Amino acid sequence: MIPHAPILVIVLPLFTAFVMPLIGIIAERYHIKYLRELIAIGVMIVVLILAGTIAQEVWNGEVIVYELGGWSPPWGIVLAIDALSTQMALMIAGLGTLVMIYSASYMSRDSGLSYFYTLMLLVISGMMGIVLTGDFFNFYVFLEIMSISSYALVSFRRDALSIEAGIKYLIIGSLGTSFVLLSVVMLYGVVGTLNIADLGAKLATYGGTNVPSVLVLSLALFVTGVMIKVAMVPFHTWLPDAFTAAPTAISALLAGPAAVVGIYWVARLPYLPFGMPVGLILISLGLISMVVGVLMALMQRDFKRMLAYHVISQKGYMVLGIGLGTLGATLGTQGGLFHLLNHSTYKALLFMCAGAVLYQTKSQKFDELGGLGKNMPITALTFLIGALAISGIPPLNGFVSKYIIYLAGFQAGMPWITAIAVVVSGLTLASFMKAFSSVFLGQRPQHLQGTREAPKPMLFSMIVMALICVAIGLLPALGFNIIGPAAEAAKNTSSYISHVLGGT
Amino acid sequence: MAGMTVIVRTISRILFPFIFLFGIYIILHGHLTPGGGFPGGVIIAASVAMLILAYGLERVLKNNAFLRAEVLDTIGSLTIAAIGIMGLIFGSYFLQNTLPLGELGRLISGGNFLWLYVGVGIKVTAGILLILFAMLFATWGEKDDHGA
Amino acid sequence: MIMGLNYIVAMLLIAAGIYCLLFKRNLLKLVIGLAVMTDGIHLFLISMGYRLGGIVPIFSSEVAPSLSEFAARAVDPLPQALVLTSIVINICVTALALSLCIYAYRHYGTLDTTKIRRLKE
Repeated sequence: MIPHAPILVIVLPLFTAFVMPLIGIIAERYHIKYLRELIAIGVMIVVLILAGTIAQEVWNGEVIVYELGGWSPPWGIVLAIDALSTQMALMIAGLGTLVMIYSASYMSRDSGLSYFYTLMLLVISGMMGIVLTGDFFNFYVFLEIMSISSYALVSFRRDALSIEAGIKYLIIGSLGTSFVLLSVVMLYGVVGTLNIADLGAKLATYGGTNVPSVLVLSLALFVTGVMIKVAMVPFHTWLPDAFTAAPTAISALLAGPAAVVGIYWVARLPYLPFGMPVGLILISLGLISMVVGVLMALMQRDFKRMLAYHVISQKGYMVLGIGLGTLGATLGTQGGLFHLLNHSTYKALLFMCAGAVLYQTKSQKFDELGGLGKNMPITALTFLIGALAISGIPPLNGFVSKYIIYLAGFQAGMPWITAIAVVVSGLTLASFMKAFSSVFLGQRPQHLQGTREAPKPMLFSMIVMALICVAIGLLPALGFNIIGPAAEAAKNTSSYISHVLGGT
Repeated sequence: MAGMTVIVRTISRILFPFIFLFGIYIILHGHLTPGGGFPGGVIIAASVAMLILAYGLERVLKNNAFLRAEVLDTIGSLTIAAIGIMGLIFGSYFLQNTLPLGELGRLISGGNFLWLYVGVGIKVTAGILLILFAMLFATWGEKDDHGA
Repeated sequence: MIMGLNYIVAMLLIAAGIYCLLFKRNLLKLVIGLAVMTDGIHLFLISMGYRLGGIVPIFSSEVAPSLSEFAARAVDPLPQALVLTSIVINICVTALALSLCIYAYRHYGTLDTTKIRRLKE
């Protein structure tokens, strides 16, 4: 591992983001085209390589502890990376690179681009900070960095719909992060430390029957805050508006990596730092979100809005899986985390296809589209792969993770959950068949006769993601190399605590 | 945006250096007294805001205030980056103390803490001024974004 | 009683902020509600660091003769640093919210949230 890789992964996008306006001024004055895009993509590739080197070392069984400023825990802020964090970091880095390549050509028609890349790099840096940190207040700061940058990105185009979506997202999101802050504050008041490992060690002594009510209130606030960020029903109302009105590159970014950080904390919730049973809450919220998401998606007539409701439904699968994992079904956590890996790839792919259609035809409603299969064959093919993957059809990757969640339902002794999950998969398939046929098959309207295929950078990202979907579907062992240690590490709290507190 | 009367302009011209100096004092003594980078930066930005109110937006913009604020923003963040990376190169961790710790209570003490606060102060000043300029441009209908 | 008063007022502020967010229709009042709620949380955090009979955590030789005695009697400075960070974050959120309100007024002509509803059809 390169010696300072953990902190470089967070700091490199952060400082590049700050320098980006200066790069923009230089690009304007010396007329270098695409300077900002190239630097942003270059930084993302470096981050991906660094994350890969971290992964190599963590999969040998270690927990990497990096003390900032040389102050040892529990007084200083540490970055604690175990296998769960590594999975998330790899996903953020990889998907971030692909979305950055996609947005290089998608946003080429907009102005104010140096601010756009500043905000994108800030979002990536915030997400990396959330999954790599080992300090609770540091988590809140990085969560705010990511949230504020995404509020600004959603309303980037400053037209009426984007502003409305941005305001809704901002108010609901700020409420969520305020709840997280209140929860952190209460925990500090009870225990006196902010280090996650230290909190886990000290709160373990409170477990059992006589838990102080302050801890229960803190847990409730934390769960509410995280659920608002993950957009579970009934806190989901910001998500359809935000994903419809945002530039599609941002929707792809929020649907993929931003879901990653939410589910990362949902996966950590039952074990660290609280250690209290939240399984039933997770299962019930997951079930309701799955069903409500897919039912609302069936009724939509706008392309991106339908995809946004499917995001809610798929996140419900993940939360359900992790919830089942806490009730004794070891397959549940693996299923939830694997579904996270798959969902990020195919959901970002689907949003990219919708974006390609929007970029070329300037419309995103089903009534105005049709018959684009001949004009945009590669887009149609990748969309078909994504649609089959999300519905859980073998041999694509969606099938593997959904099958594990079905098995987990049986293993936890609740087969009716499996039945509901299968029905939701069927409804997902129906909704996507309707979308595919109305956009890519059928009669082509008059004004869309001359539509051409999307530009090459967009096609590159879409094809890479489609290939990943097919590859993980045919060879699930590729995914298990990443997921297996992650699911283990999520439960293995004692190893985490001893590594962080017992000295490196 | 028009300025204000002669009395306001004269008094704000006299007061501006004192408020500026007070802001610098709070930034520099961040490791000894309460304050530090954030409140000091806000105070300096408030002094510039007072000038904008007294003299009007066009008069302040004639001195390229917007461009200077953007450049100062980048300088501030590069200062913080440089101190952090200095920790990486000479010490063993990011942001580690590498300058000598003086005795307790003197101005130049505490390692790289003082310089970190200076960087934060510059960045906060520039940031709040940029926010102020952006809102004023949006409300008074000048150029919306500078297309950079 | 004097000690508990801080926490009661903090909780009242948080409740007032949430009430504003739930029941008010003007966009600016929503922003104010958010600010009031976060102020309540900051008050809660600072009063959590209080130590009975404590001294200000600024070290000088008149206040406390030695460092260990200073550490034993000083009020906890960590929550104050946390609140400083949180106040700065809230400046950014408020600035962003107000900018969005400026644009919303320009596009819709009103700040009433029941009228800014073009997305749901």
